[in-house]
Amino acid sequence: MRDSSIKRSLGVDLTRSLKESRVLLVGAGGIGCELLKNLVLTGFGEIHIIDLDTIDLSNLNRQFLFRHEHIKKSKALVAKEVAQKFRSDAKLEAYHANIMDAQFDVSWFESFNVVFNALDNIAARRHVNKMCLVANVPLIESGTTGFNGQVQVIQKSETECYDCNVKETPKSFPVCTIRSNPKEPIHCIVWAKSYLLPELFGNSDDEAPEVDSTEDADNAKEIADLRKEALELKELRQSIDTEEAHQKVFDKVFGKDIIRLQGMTDLWKEKEPPKLLDLAQLQKESDSIASTVSAQDQRVWTLGENFSVFRDSLNRLARRLKQLQETKLPDQDSPILTFDKDDVDTLDFVTATANLRAAIFHLELKSKFDVKQMAGNIIPAIATTNAMTAGLCVLQSLKVFQDNLMQAKMVFLERSGARAINSDSLKPPNPDCPVCSRLVVPVEIDPELATLEHLVHDVLQLELGYGRDISLLIGDRLVYDQEFDDALPDKLFDMGIKNGSFITVKDDNESARVNLDVVIKTRSEPSSEDSKPATLQKMVEIPLKPKQPAQPPTDDAQNPEQPAPPSTDDAAVTGKRKREGSDDDVEPNSHDAKRLASASVPDSNGIKAIVLDDEEEGAIMIDD
Amino acid sequence: MTDAFPAALTGPTSKERKYDRQLRLWAATGQQALEDSHVLLVNSDGPLGQYNTGVTGVAGVETLKNLVLPGIGGFTIVDPAIVTESDLGVNFFLEGESLGKSRAEETCRLLKELNPDVEGYYYVKRVEELLTDPDFLPQHKLVIISGPMRRSTLVPLTQEAKQLGIPVLYLHSVGFFSTFSVQLPAEFPIVETHPDPESTQDLRLLNPWPELVAAAAGLNNLDTLDDHQHGHVPYLLLLLHFLEQWKHSHEGNAPSNYKEKTEFREFVRSQARTSNPEGGEENFDEAAAAVLKTITPFSLRSSIREIFEMDQCRQLSASSQDFWVIASAIKTFHASHGVLPLPGSLPDMKAQSADYVSLQNIYKTKARQDVEEVTATVRHLESQLQRQTPAIPDRDIEVFCKNAAHIKVVLGRDIPQISIDSDASTLKTIRNELGVPDSLIPIFIAMQILDSVVDEIQSSSREEERSVDDDALWNSHTERILALLTGADGSAVCQEARAQIARASKELRRAEGGELHNISSLTGGLVAQEALKVLTRQYGPLDNTCVFDGARSKSEMYRL
Ligand SMILES: [Zn+2]
Repeated sequence: MRDSSIKRSLGVDLTRSLKESRVLLVGAGGIGCELLKNLVLTGFGEIHIIDLDTIDLSNLNRQFLFRHEHIKKSKALVAKEVAQKFRSDAKLEAYHANIMDAQFDVSWFESFNVVFNALDNIAARRHVNKMCLVANVPLIESGTTGFNGQVQVIQKSETECYDCNVKETPKSFPVCTIRSNPKEPIHCIVWAKSYLLPELFGNSDDEAPEVDSTEDADNAKEIADLRKEALELKELRQSIDTEEAHQKVFDKVFGKDIIRLQGMTDLWKEKEPPKLLDLAQLQKESDSIASTVSAQDQRVWTLGENFSVFRDSLNRLARRLKQLQETKLPDQDSPILTFDKDDVDTLDFVTATANLRAAIFHLELKSKFDVKQMAGNIIPAIATTNAMTAGLCVLQSLKVFQDNLMQAKMVFLERSGARAINSDSLKPPNPDCPVCSRLVVPVEIDPELATLEHLVHDVLQLELGYGRDISLLIGDRLVYDQEFDDALPDKLFDMGIKNGSFITVKDDNESARVNLDVVIKTRSEPSSEDSKPATLQKMVEIPLKPKQPAQPPTDDAQNPEQPAPPSTDDAAVTGKRKREGSDDDVEPNSHDAKRLASASVPDSNGIKAIVLDDEEEGAIMIDD
Repeated sequence: MTDAFPAALTGPTSKERKYDRQLRLWAATGQQALEDSHVLLVNSDGPLGQYNTGVTGVAGVETLKNLVLPGIGGFTIVDPAIVTESDLGVNFFLEGESLGKSRAEETCRLLKELNPDVEGYYYVKRVEELLTDPDFLPQHKLVIISGPMRRSTLVPLTQEAKQLGIPVLYLHSVGFFSTFSVQLPAEFPIVETHPDPESTQDLRLLNPWPELVAAAAGLNNLDTLDDHQHGHVPYLLLLLHFLEQWKHSHEGNAPSNYKEKTEFREFVRSQARTSNPEGGEENFDEAAAAVLKTITPFSLRSSIREIFEMDQCRQLSASSQDFWVIASAIKTFHASHGVLPLPGSLPDMKAQSADYVSLQNIYKTKARQDVEEVTATVRHLESQLQRQTPAIPDRDIEVFCKNAAHIKVVLGRDIPQISIDSDASTLKTIRNELGVPDSLIPIFIAMQILDSVVDEIQSSSREEERSVDDDALWNSHTERILALLTGADGSAVCQEARAQIARASKELRRAEGGELHNISSLTGGLVAQEALKVLTRQYGPLDNTCVFDGARSKSEMYRL
């Protein structure tokens, strides 16, 4: 009776296969809550839900399974509990855990009919994408930003995967820009959030992802100086809860450190050097400012107000840290405070100190509202977009259950334009994709016995027929090659290889095979007498790498700056076609002109000439 | 300033933190508008007969869910239905214990749990009874109706709402399909349309004001600058500088056509220094790239001109809305200056930070002066008109000036239907759409047939009960509607179109008028999105009908 409307519209067969299905929902956030509700009410039989996060106040405007009393509790567990209350007949399983944990291995992924991604970060998305490709499980990938949303169906060998298109990575700033020479307000915000706050209250040894501190000869000395500076700041931590702490911090970061920077005259040859702020003046001004000023987040505060918020938030943070230290149990790590865009005290501190620094460097001050966006990498989110996106995810999954991938679509939501919902056919995999074009073979090992030698000799050489000249990498770490074979007797387990680990095999022979990824499955039962400690799970054909391209005609090297031929020329048309064929949007530049030039070389087989010319770049992609 | 939320004692209020992610979309003013709104959901109009409890109203409840979460002030659910077993299978906001209880009461209770800041009320009645109280409808800022609803209820409800200037959303979700239409007041003005930031840049390079001219004149000899300075002159000033040079050699005229502009662009490019280690200058690249877009004389967009020409703008009265008073003042501004008030924002560009800030100040100051001038006109108009309403807030005038080039007035239309008294243009649009391959309009037509079928069942006094899938009913109403769609030249709906309508009807009949939760949830997202635009008076609302096909994951908008 309850299912009758589903049966009428979906038909008996589809309704049954949904009822018998087992699906995984990764993420119980905005899309996740909606998806869980829709999956349950569409008659999906068994739903596993996983999320690492806990519930925050700022989730409640859209994540409708959560209430005020759930704040700080596990999203996955509460979502399950609430949905179960509404639907007692649904079979739900929840995990408060990280999907990237090793326990969620390939065979676990294999146990699902479909996986739904409802995540908020690229790293986890890529991980699930990779696991679903290896496990050969269809993935429904989704995401939203404000009014925009997107749903994509991913099926190994049939469609594009998540990584077939290059994703934009978050911006990072050179360490010297942040610490010595800010040029934009964001540089001051990153300084306050990723340097000052952690040095005073947090774990200063953590590398902030947005600061690029790779050393080169140019900035080695600078970095040494900055280390010294940081050390002085660390000493201030001892007296952070005293009355005069704000004065000491001010004297240090807005006084002494600035004076040192003023002395680096090289930096200020062509721009105005930083100027010191007048502490006495600021103190005087701030005396008449109420602490409620920090609630005014839409307008830019005056310098006096910024100083007042700085002093006030520093005290608040110091009190909190002290309280944490006093209640800490002996076996716990010493407590720290970290930046959270929704934690008012840290946000106040970052806004005020970033603005004081901006004033010193003659930069624009920002409102707290703007700082929150800039520091917190905030993505606007509302219930309506999530509702639409989740609904579209379920519709796409129905195509997968009907074995009708041809009808599945890539769907977009957009605020403007004639259509709110638009769809596009799924594209075939990108042959150059660094993820789905890779070959993966499962290898089962006995964690007690298997050594690197077992893997290299028994599996790679005997079973897969590799020659001697191969190298093995775990991530970027080389663990074996012909000259570097010390690790052969080591147990794989002791090398950090666990269930679900990947090892890359590179063929270094003349006529080399494409790279191979070995994915490890650990044997749950001890090996029997006659079974080897490492065995291949599935035989695969490993193709050879494409031959290195012939060198392009030499005359373009002599004319690297030769301008593009006029547009009426045939060759220009060919050149354009080639550009469209490449995946990245290449900005027109001299290199491009060179490519056009080489394409203009007369050739009876124009298209082939173009492919050759592109190989030079393509090879880099394949080989990394 | 935080207009919406009085400063609390401890940082931002928990309300601000709860709504933080959406404040990024519609700001404090939009949030305040939401919190001032009370929404009416008419979720069914009574049973279809003895055995069919009628509209299940899931899409209506899901719509409301998406409005309660972001914090509307309150809502009222009007629904005479009693919860049945089949309700429990599709409606998330009902529990096992809800069975046999009032659906209005139960959904109201569970929706209220979503957000303690939102008030919820319900009536276990047909809306007809409530309309007898003249004070009932005016309490609401928006009416959402779950169809099908019999015409004898729908027409008086939508007409009264129209007279009161209350927007209406009329929606259907059946099987894999859904449709909804918006009825807006005759004129629905929007100031904050949130255009693409790219399109809002107004730099006034061809009609600079004295302070901007002076800033560019300060550059008179670029050759004296060292490489660093030369590479950091903001591109705006470069363009102004080179424009002056160009005018000297072109009888005082700026480049006016494509050919001249590309010549000018090459001229700008040629002035970059290439002897430096980078072999070029970023600011000159920026300048060259901006030529085609920014070297354009100001011209008033036709949509804004039309607004200036509307009666509401030309003939102000004491009862004119604030929008029209400000629009009239802006019109005066345009008449005397030939431009709209300067928005005042500056794009990012390569520059020394101090130079950038001072250039930014030149734009901001000018924008402020323009706002002051418009404000003075507004104040003058207010006293001239002897308005009784409170003075128009300064902030509203400022926001209007910033958005002046992108304001919009939607001319509201009635909820479209295919009937004898339908608007001729509505019927014509539908006929034309029927000729478009892959059009979703057959779904709209099928929903219209469903409306009439249900209307007849509900209004019938016959003893025996007919199902929503009754062949005779569908055939007669299909023929009736197709006849209404006959062209002015007497041409009937073609076979191909008839077949498409029949296919769409088949899906509705197969579902027996029932809802699929997933489609209704998605539809609730679409409808609530429009409700938010209407309530916040931001972004451009649907004008006026949307059709969604869940089988194809595709939606279309029509102006019917
Ligand atoms: Zn791929």
